[in-house]
Amino acid sequence: MAESRILPDRIPPLWGRGSLVGRLIRLAAIWFIFALILISAGLTAFFNYSTVTRFQAGISDIVRNLYTHTEFDAQGRIDIPELYNIRTDDIYSGLYWQISELDATDKVVKVHKSASLAERTLTGPEKLDKTSGEPVYYNAEGPRDQPLRQVAIYLRIQDRPLLFIAGEDRSEVDRNVGQFALITGSTLVVLALGSLIAIFLQVRIGLRPLFDLTDELGKVREGQKSRLEGQYPMEITPVTEQINALLSYGQEVVERQRTHVGNLAHALKTPLSVLLTSAGDSPEPLADAIRKQSALMKEQVDHHLRRARAAARAQHMGERTPVEPVLDELAVMLEQVFRDKGVVIDWRAPENLAFRGEKQDFQEIAGNLLENACIWCQKRIRVTASLGNEAEGMTLLIEDDGPGMPESRYDEVLKRGARLDESAPGSGLGLSIVDELVRAYGGRLHFERSALGGLKAVVNLPANFIT
Amino acid sequence: MRILLAEDDPDLSRQLKSSLSDAGYVVDHAPDGEEAHFLGDTEPYDCVILDLGLPKIDGVSVLERWRRDGKTTPVLILTARGAWSDKVSGFDAGADDYLTKPFHTEELLARLRALVRRAAGHAQPLLVCGGLRLDPRAARASVNGEPLRLTSLEYRLLHYMMLHNERVISRTELVEHLYDQDFDRDSNTIEVFMGRLRKKIGTERIETVRGLGYRLKPLHDEVSDI
Repeated sequence: MAESRILPDRIPPLWGRGSLVGRLIRLAAIWFIFALILISAGLTAFFNYSTVTRFQAGISDIVRNLYTHTEFDAQGRIDIPELYNIRTDDIYSGLYWQISELDATDKVVKVHKSASLAERTLTGPEKLDKTSGEPVYYNAEGPRDQPLRQVAIYLRIQDRPLLFIAGEDRSEVDRNVGQFALITGSTLVVLALGSLIAIFLQVRIGLRPLFDLTDELGKVREGQKSRLEGQYPMEITPVTEQINALLSYGQEVVERQRTHVGNLAHALKTPLSVLLTSAGDSPEPLADAIRKQSALMKEQVDHHLRRARAAARAQHMGERTPVEPVLDELAVMLEQVFRDKGVVIDWRAPENLAFRGEKQDFQEIAGNLLENACIWCQKRIRVTASLGNEAEGMTLLIEDDGPGMPESRYDEVLKRGARLDESAPGSGLGLSIVDELVRAYGGRLHFERSALGGLKAVVNLPANFIT
Repeated sequence: MRILLAEDDPDLSRQLKSSLSDAGYVVDHAPDGEEAHFLGDTEPYDCVILDLGLPKIDGVSVLERWRRDGKTTPVLILTARGAWSDKVSGFDAGADDYLTKPFHTEELLARLRALVRRAAGHAQPLLVCGGLRLDPRAARASVNGEPLRLTSLEYRLLHYMMLHNERVISRTELVEHLYDQDFDRDSNTIEVFMGRLRKKIGTERIETVRGLGYRLKPLHDEVSDI
């Protein structure tokens, strides 16, 4: 019965709106993405700035050397100082300089440049600061598509305007900055992912008591437990205490109602006996009516008693009833009741076999079937209880050497109120009670022909071995 | 035939009393447990009809007291509580038969006749072995005065062993006397019954003689008791 139920999802969906875990992780994720972008952008910018500044020192020096030592001689020809740097002499080495002589309208009149530039020239800055004499740094494209970092300075020497430019291949710097950005970014991504996983675990472990509570409540609802018994952190304890109080209250109410129903039912039975005895076996129509109506009333009473007991059963799941003592008691008792007939009940059951349910129910199942066998047998009754495996449960066979019954009636006798034979003693409810009980435990009752000659009742019930 | 009817419902009592008288019984009536116990204790009844739901002292307690005092009068219990657990507890207290309310008077009379006839069997000698006693007439056994609740197969086994006290009895011999016909039972049948019997009468009372069979033996401190 419990197996067929669909258990509530143990792990709630992470991204659902209603999930606490999801909410915590979403918040953390948003913060991490924000922080990650900010930190990696900041670090890369700073690294870029400091690297480029350091890199620019080289070209600054060249420009400074150029303009401090450049003069015009008496003939008005420019005198450019010698720069002892092998890279400015190698063609397209990546380090270049250039001095442009400008006219009054800033048009380039003449260009002097390093040997490394060969026939190419360096591009000037987009905007020239003519007043301050401060160097202007900018990126430009050099020969052979080299990305260059350039510095330009505009000076008037001996009242002639000159533009000093120096440039150096910055591809290595760019590569360094790119690498730095990549490493920083990936490190931070790893850090963020790791932190998210840590947070996820933390939340799962932190909220574990809540999941445990859900599981335990599920067991209570299935009837495997009657109350919450787990140890919970102090934040949850008030909740479990309230739930337990509610559960006890519910159980109390059910118990009280059950007692009322039981008392009422049993109290009705003595007046019914009086009515039946009054009617006796008188053939009068009134007596006949009394007999019939009393029988109906008894049936009703028994039915509702069973309903009340079924309500109580839910609280007793998880109980184990050893099979052997129950069979022993019943065999002793029924052999005594049917002593005149000389009934012999030969029963076998493994000593440690236990029915997974309430003792009263097992007594009811085995008692009714055994009594039935006693009524119909000639002398011999064989009872065999065995356990295949726990999933299959126990098989209880009750066989007799009586006349048996035709196969066509096997199903019919399980119906409420049906009797094997109207003239035989017994309430006539026995077999339907058994069937109802067996079904309540998720078991099965059916009939076969016994090797002894009579009927063989086959009952499957949940059971296991106890140690 | 003298009968005690212990039933608290006045109408039911009156009707039962007249039916029983018509059937030829002499009937005494006790409306509560106290009086029932007193009457059953002092008067020699052939049978007792005992309602379990009696006022003052309940039926099961009355029955237990009688049995504890050694009263063997057959007792038929009447109960409104028809659950098997109630029936079993009635039998544990020492009842001989039960009837669930509501019932037909004819059925009560039939059960009563059977009980009285059963009780009037021929007297047979009591079998004794140490603290074990077995009364073949009533088919009852007791150990140190405590009644034993034996199934008929266990009783047969014990009966046979007590008849052949002090002798080692082989398994084959026991199986032959246990079953009327050949039962297609497994080979360890005797072990199973010996185990159950030992549990009920005390392990040390049955001795296993390796390779030969079993022997019943009185306990040392009980030998003088015979």
